[in-house]
Amino acid sequence: MPSLTTSASAANETASDTADRDVRVYECAILYSCPIAQKDEAALMKEIDSYFHEAGATLVAKDAWGRRGLAYPIKGAKEANVAIYYWEMDPLKLKEVDQSLKISKGILRHLFVKPPKHYQIIKYADVYELWLKERESLDQKRARERQEQLEERVAAQAKRRAKMTTEKKTDKPDAKISGEAIAEGIEKLISDDAIDI
Amino acid sequence: MIYNKFMPPAKSATQRRTDPRLKKCPFCLKQAKYIDYKDYPGIKPFVDYFGNIMKRYYTGVCLKHQKMLRTAIERARFLGFLAYRK
Repeated sequence: MPSLTTSASAANETASDTADRDVRVYECAILYSCPIAQKDEAALMKEIDSYFHEAGATLVAKDAWGRRGLAYPIKGAKEANVAIYYWEMDPLKLKEVDQSLKISKGILRHLFVKPPKHYQIIKYADVYELWLKERESLDQKRARERQEQLEERVAAQAKRRAKMTTEKKTDKPDAKISGEAIAEGIEKLISDDAIDI
Repeated sequence: MIYNKFMPPAKSATQRRTDPRLKKCPFCLKQAKYIDYKDYPGIKPFVDYFGNIMKRYYTGVCLKHQKMLRTAIERARFLGFLAYRK
């Protein structure tokens, strides 16, 4: 994993010949519009690099995230390409670069950050993708649990229905028997001559 | 504790909610020196549904890390990784 400290130490070594030149590492996040032709993208990248090279900056690392959805539309764009640069440059020239990035047409938004000491460069694009996959699996788990619960409910309902039907079936013959018994009793009563109504 | 007739009866240990003050700072447990604005999955749990930063009382984050978290969230909001308001 590349860390800024090594580059900083390298900078110190190189700084021996240019002792008066103060150099720092800056992190620059750039958002540019998403549906963009390859030619235009290459041109934009060249333009961005030219701004930094004019200021005498050297590239330490670059992390291109690619297409990413935005939480809110920026300049009418709902998606943007994200690129993160680590430049070693003179702090006095930061303002010029900042201004030129602000003016340039293709860039939606940019941010300069001074990373802390002993900062280790992590490729967050990979981290984000991993997290997305994990989250998908979590969603799938939830969906599975829901389906299982539903199936259980359905099974319980079916059992209950089956029970009800069996009870009804057991009830019906009893009722028939009792009806027949009643009819027989009535007939006996009617046929009985001993009783005078 | 003084018994008060207006007080509800004491709940059992299972019913009682854990004291939010007893939570430990998740960043201190990881020994985080810096909270990165690019780390979306790391920041997201500290932002509520409406996009507000969660209070320290509920998340248990220490003051030092809450300040770092705030800068990280503000930077992420500026770049459109997080919403200002839902």
